[in-house]
Amino acid sequence: MACVYIPVQNSEEEVRVALDQLPRDASDIVDILKAEQAPLDLWLIIAREYFKQGKIEQFRLILEEGSSPDIDEYYADVRYERIAILNALGAYYSYLGKIEAKQKEKEEYFIKATQYYNRASRIDMHEPSTWVGKGQLLLAKGDVEQAFAAFKIVLDGDRDNVPALLGQACVHFNRGRYSDSLELYKRALQVFPQCPAAVRLGIGLCRYKLGQFEKAKQAFERVLQLDNDNSDALVALAIMDLQSKNDDSIKLGMEKMKKAFDIYPYCAMSLNYLADHFFFTGQHKVVQDLTETALVVTNHGPTKSHAYYNLARSYHDMGDFEKAGMYYMQSVKENTAPREFVLPYYGLGQVQLKLGDLKSALTNFEKILEVHPDNCDTLKALGHIYIQLGQVEKAHEFLRKATKVDSHDPQAFLDLGELLIPTDTGAALDAFKTARNLLKNGNTKKKDKADRSNKGRHEDEVEEVPVELLNNIGVLHFERGEFELAEQAFRDALGDGIWLKFLDDKAEIMSADKKVEDTGADVPDKDSSKKSSVGEELSSDPEAQVDSLRTAQFPIDATASVHLYKDLSLFDRLEEQGIVVELPFNKVSTLFNLARLLEQLHHVETASIFYRLILYKYPDYPDAYLRLAAIAKARSNVTISTELLSDALKVDEKCQDALLMLGDLELKNDDWVKAKETFRAAKDMSDGDDSYASLCLGNWNYFAAIRSEKRAPKLEATHLEKAKELYSKVLLRHTGNLYAANGTGIVLAEKGQFDISKELFTQVQEAASGSVFVQMPDVWINLAHVHFAQGNFSLAVKMYQNCLRKFYYNTDSQVLLYLARTHYEAEQWQDCRKTLLRAIHLAPANYTLRFDIGAALQKFSSSTLQKEKRTTDELLSTIAELRNAVRVFSLMAASSNLHVHGFDEKKIETHVEYCKHLLEAAKVHYDAAERVDLDNKRRQEANEIARVAQVKQREAEERARADVIANLLLVCYIILFLFDLLINYLRQREKRKHDEEQKLMREQDLLLQRKKEQWSTPATKRKDRSQNEDEERHGEKKKKGGKRRKREKKAQYESDEAEPMEDQDEIYSVSHHQDDDKVDQTDGNPQDLFAAAGLEDSDAEEDTVPSNASRRRQAWSSDED
Amino acid sequence: MKLTSPETIPDAHEDSIWTASWIPATEDSPPLLLTGSLDETVRLWDPESKNCILKNTGHSLGVVSVAAHPSGRIAASASIDSFIRVFDVVTNNTIATLEAPPSEIWQLKFNPEGKILAAAGGGSASIKLWDTAKWQPITTLSIPRPEGSKPGDKSSNKKFVLSVAWSADGRHIACGSMDGTISVFDVARAKFLHHLEGHCMPVRTLVYSSAPLDSRILFSGSDDGHVHVYDAEGKTMIAAMSGHASWVLSVDASPDGAAIVSGSSDKTVRLWDLKMRAATQIFSNHTDMVWTVAFGPPGRTDVRSCSLASVSDDKSISLYQYS
Repeated sequence: MACVYIPVQNSEEEVRVALDQLPRDASDIVDILKAEQAPLDLWLIIAREYFKQGKIEQFRLILEEGSSPDIDEYYADVRYERIAILNALGAYYSYLGKIEAKQKEKEEYFIKATQYYNRASRIDMHEPSTWVGKGQLLLAKGDVEQAFAAFKIVLDGDRDNVPALLGQACVHFNRGRYSDSLELYKRALQVFPQCPAAVRLGIGLCRYKLGQFEKAKQAFERVLQLDNDNSDALVALAIMDLQSKNDDSIKLGMEKMKKAFDIYPYCAMSLNYLADHFFFTGQHKVVQDLTETALVVTNHGPTKSHAYYNLARSYHDMGDFEKAGMYYMQSVKENTAPREFVLPYYGLGQVQLKLGDLKSALTNFEKILEVHPDNCDTLKALGHIYIQLGQVEKAHEFLRKATKVDSHDPQAFLDLGELLIPTDTGAALDAFKTARNLLKNGNTKKKDKADRSNKGRHEDEVEEVPVELLNNIGVLHFERGEFELAEQAFRDALGDGIWLKFLDDKAEIMSADKKVEDTGADVPDKDSSKKSSVGEELSSDPEAQVDSLRTAQFPIDATASVHLYKDLSLFDRLEEQGIVVELPFNKVSTLFNLARLLEQLHHVETASIFYRLILYKYPDYPDAYLRLAAIAKARSNVTISTELLSDALKVDEKCQDALLMLGDLELKNDDWVKAKETFRAAKDMSDGDDSYASLCLGNWNYFAAIRSEKRAPKLEATHLEKAKELYSKVLLRHTGNLYAANGTGIVLAEKGQFDISKELFTQVQEAASGSVFVQMPDVWINLAHVHFAQGNFSLAVKMYQNCLRKFYYNTDSQVLLYLARTHYEAEQWQDCRKTLLRAIHLAPANYTLRFDIGAALQKFSSSTLQKEKRTTDELLSTIAELRNAVRVFSLMAASSNLHVHGFDEKKIETHVEYCKHLLEAAKVHYDAAERVDLDNKRRQEANEIARVAQVKQREAEERARADVIANLLLVCYIILFLFDLLINYLRQREKRKHDEEQKLMREQDLLLQRKKEQWSTPATKRKDRSQNEDEERHGEKKKKGGKRRKREKKAQYESDEAEPMEDQDEIYSVSHHQDDDKVDQTDGNPQDLFAAAGLEDSDAEEDTVPSNASRRRQAWSSDED
Repeated sequence: MKLTSPETIPDAHEDSIWTASWIPATEDSPPLLLTGSLDETVRLWDPESKNCILKNTGHSLGVVSVAAHPSGRIAASASIDSFIRVFDVVTNNTIATLEAPPSEIWQLKFNPEGKILAAAGGGSASIKLWDTAKWQPITTLSIPRPEGSKPGDKSSNKKFVLSVAWSADGRHIACGSMDGTISVFDVARAKFLHHLEGHCMPVRTLVYSSAPLDSRILFSGSDDGHVHVYDAEGKTMIAAMSGHASWVLSVDASPDGAAIVSGSSDKTVRLWDLKMRAATQIFSNHTDMVWTVAFGPPGRTDVRSCSLASVSDDKSISLYQYS
């Protein structure tokens, strides 16, 4: 038992004070010490004992008494002990100041401490312990430089002063000069090997900071050996354990951390780390408690910052972004060294991003980037922000960098891909593919790992490649026309489900060749193995399943089959049969895309089933209605198409696409007024901003201009103007709008500005080639029309033919008609004839074509008859063709009794009559030709006779020279005279015939002249329109088709082929002429049968109009209506 | 079930070949192929040697249909001028020239017994029937007008008859129209039975199944790119098959009833497995639209196999073996 003995004054006795039994009231002791005038070192010992026992009050009391002025006076010459007491008090207050959290008290303590040290200094300026104390005080106050000076003074005096060494080491440590610090600690240890564990702690920390983790660890462990309860060492070791990425050591670290916490619950550092841990385990409440304590107990900036960060993170994780933001902010504020602790910036950036404060988030992320220029996440985050800010270039740059920095981060590639979609689909596709492969590889790795650790359970652990990514890949392939790859991607995205049954139905078929050769037995095998691997069981027998799929679809009543595309009962039937009809929401888009792809590949039926499946599960999906409507429309099922569209409108009143398509259908049904209203409504819906709606209205106006039954030039002009205005408006807003450019070109062509329109069309044509979705046959046709109008027939022919082949599989009779007209104008009769026959074969019900071929044959014949020279063969074929023409016309005339096809019987009859007449004329010509041949023969004979006669004459001359000359001459004269007579006779006969023909032609010319005059008044010209409605309606249909097409750019719903827009303005001129005849007839202007010879007109015209081009233009303008 | 890769006779005509029909074998002759073209000729081919045996002229305006009498001795051809020429296959002597004004003539088909020749009557919205003994018209099967329509109504135009088909038992006849409807008639009673709906675009080709048990099954091809399968008596649709990119111009059923073949303006010939209900083989050997596909009579050596011919706008004939 340790005791001190206080000597009793003026005696030999001593008061024995047992140190472990110090009285509770220290004043007793003080009284004794004072009374006995005990040496000051005893005071100090007792005070220290009190301190050790935690009796701070008593400790202070004794020391304060021991440093009172009385004592100073009394013990004036006892210098060292006085200094020691003062220093003890100074150290005590330094400590108080150091641990005090409140600023005010803290300063007061420091002031007191300073006072005591100053008093000590006054006693002896050179006492090293005072300087050490001062140094500690300065350190506690954070005044590192002055502390350095204080310690230096001591060390200059005694370089082995342990406390000074320690102090200076601490200074160096705080200055970040860890190796210097380490040296000093080492020296202290050498000088004083028994020094407390804390010294080794310093060494450990220095080593740690210097990155010598193993040695640091050894040092800390040594500390713990010496002092089992040293929480700092525990914390340090724990941190080191935690930082190792090893699960076991993390566990150990946590244990240590907990132990440290148990020993000393107010160590902010350990609190932070514990909070860290509990954050990861998700115990947010604990995190908050811990961090709050940590915040209370520390003033150390970085530690506080860390604590705030933990708190913020916790709130962030719980989704309380406001609070999280606030605490991140605090953390950032407390953070004195952003270089070393960037995490709160990241958190703050994230929260700000979440809260939509892009600008602030941007600055925060950029700060991080300054510290870590290659941080992938930050680069991605910045990329995102720039995307949202619309700065694509910058976003691109950052994402590119992110992918470069970490070429194994699928997310970066994903983002990059998405960014690239609008600008560079190829690069986007590459990025997506990389992302997919990375994810896949990641999965297989995980799978392998899972397989190794836990066989069979890997399914749950594997992270699926996101549906969206596969979907995007599919769409990009689709857009690039790589349909098989697209289908594969969509299939991958969709995974297993009912759709596979429908698809595989198809797929089996594709590989059916093989299967037929296989035995039937292994087909179900394959199926069942496939199914079990996906783990879904729909029904035990796949064959039965396929059958039930089929029986659910068919048979259906043939009458009801018209409504097939609206029929959802198929799925009801499937469910009745116990087949699960499921469609997860995240796969709807992909299924839709797959259906679009199938449509593109002409697997329309499967596509329609998928659309209907979407509607069965999600009846609010208007796009599916639209597609079904488009399919129905492509199959000419107008009623169902309309119904589907109104269904779509029921689901979504504001579905502009549906409205526009409806307008289109209304046009198809010839419901002009309604269509216009619908288009208007659609346009209003978008505040007039929608290009497609504007284009539709533009087209409407254009059609209205060229269609009006009674041609009113004024009305026509206003419609055209309006159309042009609408087109230009769209073009202004979207300079790349092909359809608007095409429309503008048409209007310009209508006005005769062919060169400009040609330029426009050529550009549009170039732009339109190269995309799967943009199919613009219109522009080809328009271009051809312009070539035609400019008299460039061979180019026009090529254009029409290319267009037919490229867009219509050669099936469009209307384009064939254009082609025929071009041949007609180019006077290529055989080509014209064949083209028309093809057109008739393709469109047998189009009687206009029959009329046209009749007319072409007629024209061909009459032109042959007018030729100066013709062979008998030509005449023979002319006669054959005329017979054909008569046959065609008379068939038409007869059938018009049965049904109306837009032609006047009388008119056809006049054609028949005229052709018959021509036929007779041709026969006459033929006879004449034959006779001419005969004459020629005779003439040759006559010549022969003459020659013989001459020869004879000469002989005679020779024989009976001069004397018989007169007689011979006479004979000669007689012969010649007779000969002349004969020739004259023949000539006259011929001439008479010729005159007859001439007369006929003159009469025709006259008629034509008359008719031409009638033509030149356009108002009368188009009366026949109504009669020609068949053709016209055909044309209208197409235009609408073309219009709808325009939409596609915007919404890629429409897959049907675009159709020519300009057909109408260019009614086949042959029929045109005929129409004019009709006008004459129907106007009650009866003419003789020659009037029907409308075809002659164009010839007459050709003769009178000097320039070919101007004639074309005239033709054009008359055709324009 | 499959088709061998085709052997092609290039430039078999001077212009587009629009129609083809197999002439059954006779005692003196193997099965022959008859083709008709825009070049206004009808030609007869020996599928073995790929030689043209006969070249008939006499039609003006393109030849739209040829049909062979089951006897193999007589054939008929029709052209756009709406004349039907009936001729002796061997001698090419004209047996009869038929017309039915004002009706035009499109597709021709002899009935299975060979006693009646049926012709699709186009705008007359009817089928014309001739007796093949005297070459006299028997009757006209008219599609009834929809109720409420007037004689002058334009809608009648939509019933324009393009195609015609006899059922294997010869009791029924079906015709396809411009508006996509198919009309079924009872021949003996000359009575209209019902419509089969489903197409809304011209039905250019119709064929009944020739398999013994499937005589009710009717296949149709339409401009909508679909091939439909109907139970023509039960008035139900059994399947709708899509895949052609453009009009389906011709459909023919295989003699064994397991497959059909279709030709389209998308230039392809497709073999459809009826069990799978989808195309198992697709041929792209033609370079222009395929107007007619026709299964020939069963082979002499192997009854399960037979020939198939396809003719196209590319002026060529392709011959395949089906087995």
